[in-house]
Amino acid sequence: MRAGMRLTAMRTRAVLLMCCLFPLLPACRQESDPRTITLRVANWGSPAVESSFMTLEREIREEFERRHPGVRIQFEQIPGFGQYAPKLLMMHVSGSMPDVISLDASSGAVFMDNGVLRDLAPFIRDDTTFQLEQYFDRLVDIFRRDSRLYSIPFDFTPMMMYYNKRLFDEAGVPYPKPDWTWDDFLRIARALTNRDGPFEKHQYGFYFMNVMPFWLPWLWTNGGDVLGPDGRQATGHFDGPRSLEAMRFLTDLMLVHRVAPTIDEGKAAGVDLFRAGRAAMDLKGHWMMIDYRADNIDFGVAPLPTNTGKPTTVVYVTGLSIPAKARHPELAWEYIKYMTSKEVQIKRVSSGLAISGNRLAAAHYAGTEVEDAFIAATEYARPAWGASVERYPFIETLGEEMLEDYVYARGTLDLQTQLSRTAKLIDAVLMEQAEP
Amino acid sequence: MKRRTWPALLFVAPAALYLAVFAIFPMLFAGWASLHRWHLLKPEHPFVGLGNFIALARDPFFRNAVGNTLLYVLLSVPLGVISSLLVAMLVSRALRGIGFFRTLYYVPAVSSQVAISMVWIWILLPGEQGLVNSCLGALNRALGRSLFPTDTNFFGEPGWAMLSLVAMSLWIGLGPRMIIFLAGLHAIPQTLYEAASLDGCNAWQRFWYVTLPQLAPTMLFVIVTTTIASFQLFTPVYMITRGGPRRTTDVVLYHIYKEAWQKFEIGMASAQSYVVFAMILIAAAVQIVMMRRGLRQEGD
Repeated sequence: MRAGMRLTAMRTRAVLLMCCLFPLLPACRQESDPRTITLRVANWGSPAVESSFMTLEREIREEFERRHPGVRIQFEQIPGFGQYAPKLLMMHVSGSMPDVISLDASSGAVFMDNGVLRDLAPFIRDDTTFQLEQYFDRLVDIFRRDSRLYSIPFDFTPMMMYYNKRLFDEAGVPYPKPDWTWDDFLRIARALTNRDGPFEKHQYGFYFMNVMPFWLPWLWTNGGDVLGPDGRQATGHFDGPRSLEAMRFLTDLMLVHRVAPTIDEGKAAGVDLFRAGRAAMDLKGHWMMIDYRADNIDFGVAPLPTNTGKPTTVVYVTGLSIPAKARHPELAWEYIKYMTSKEVQIKRVSSGLAISGNRLAAAHYAGTEVEDAFIAATEYARPAWGASVERYPFIETLGEEMLEDYVYARGTLDLQTQLSRTAKLIDAVLMEQAEP
Repeated sequence: MKRRTWPALLFVAPAALYLAVFAIFPMLFAGWASLHRWHLLKPEHPFVGLGNFIALARDPFFRNAVGNTLLYVLLSVPLGVISSLLVAMLVSRALRGIGFFRTLYYVPAVSSQVAISMVWIWILLPGEQGLVNSCLGALNRALGRSLFPTDTNFFGEPGWAMLSLVAMSLWIGLGPRMIIFLAGLHAIPQTLYEAASLDGCNAWQRFWYVTLPQLAPTMLFVIVTTTIASFQLFTPVYMITRGGPRRTTDVVLYHIYKEAWQKFEIGMASAQSYVVFAMILIAAAVQIVMMRRGLRQEGD
């Protein structure tokens, strides 16, 4: 009797255990029905966030499944953007790569230059239903290595100068013109700065944040850069006269002209100062528009102020790629074609997250002042260095540390010395990589 | 005899297999990798001998990480041991409801370090949004003057960030250390205290001449395990400071993570792991030898 009871108890426990494990089973089982093909698609992002955009994306995937009977899409979201590339590369090494991956061009070099991805050129050559001309050339070129092409542009955003129209109107300052210079920028920023009253009430002309992707374009608008054109050396470029001038101007915005919050002030504010209506201008991408609209900010968009007479900015691009170790490359190609098609892109881009890499879909949304300003920038925008330099994330850390050191020291350090020191550190990082 | 060994071996086999696959093999493999220039994605792994270690000795950023780690260990180990001993003595008394407090002190140990980090970010927020700063603000108002600054950015200022991590470690590690001290305290024969009282010892003397010597083996265990854990600080750094501000919290384990997962230099990351391994080995050996010597003198 007692033995029987114990057995029953054990059985109950076993059943409970099975119930706990049950949700894991479908994940272990790759394909239940031998006729079903599971196409694994990976993207960054948190699966926990449920939004109308996620619903839209799911509907788009379900439509693909309807058109391809017997195909099931397994959507794998990898949380934490910093985790995305390492996780995928580990999957590559261990042979468990998905069939389609989103590729962020600004961290794309490590994928494109190490044989992690499949060359898409043969697919394009053999597929008469696909026209590469539909996509923005400058974006396509980012994913090229000689005759090989590793990704089809999915969506993108150049970094642009957002401005808060209400703050401009209140101060009686005219909106920035497309051909404005640094002098114009500084004059406007001064007119829109108000440091009266307590810190919580301070208003800044410009919202500066020490994130190198957000400040590197300033070097470009003065003809400087962090690396030379071949991406192999920082000395002579990051510490060159044009870059020095740009870094001096940027840090002066905080320390001398006081039209931007210092790094400490920005952190201490604890909020996005532009969204809070306490900064008149901010250098950001297309994706911020969603938040600004939600906050009812009446914003405009201008190109970056430039000293060279030539407009420039940085563009961030996402592409869709097929890993070299994908199990179903042909089906993956069908999926990429579908996802980057005009029809799907029009549906997807409606969220405002980014601009479609497909010209036809991008044209569909053109015609508004803001959208046109963004699309115009595709003619001159440059890719981030991370698209061609594998170690670039490290270079960004070094650049940000240098700027923080300098601002923290309240200008008691010599900027030229700091830049030269950092340029040497960057060169060491690049050299280390180049060594056999 | 032979008949008795094989079932025993069978029982230890799963654990032994687990250790072999997930601990011993990776350790040996890392040792081998540390002697090579090994990029995760490159097909060739040229042998470089001790080249990685020589490069590390010259690398100012790695030296900085080692320095930060040592600073963290030197602060968090003594403070952690002392604070948990005090709490253990506090909760070792047979008071009503003491079980509740023992449980309370143990809760951080069973919580996810990621969740704890999120809570601490909030506790230490700058301005009067964070718990600590808003308490200081309330104190100022109660006293009627601004005695305490309320704008300290604990995780954002170079001087404060490391101290904040140490404070966090005291809180997280309190429970496990307390439990071990509790066991040690309960194992001390009550008669010793009675004898000491009869000899006219006051509370302090009883602690110094009875409790501490009797706790010595427990103390050794706690100090060694706390030291090992301190050398392996990672999660809060990854979650909160990311090595900043200005590299003041860039500890070795975080440095290794970046070497392996941002630079993909597996060989160099393995070499760094072996440096940490050596540091822990030396620290633990020194502690054990010193404590043994102390115990032996006690016995004489």
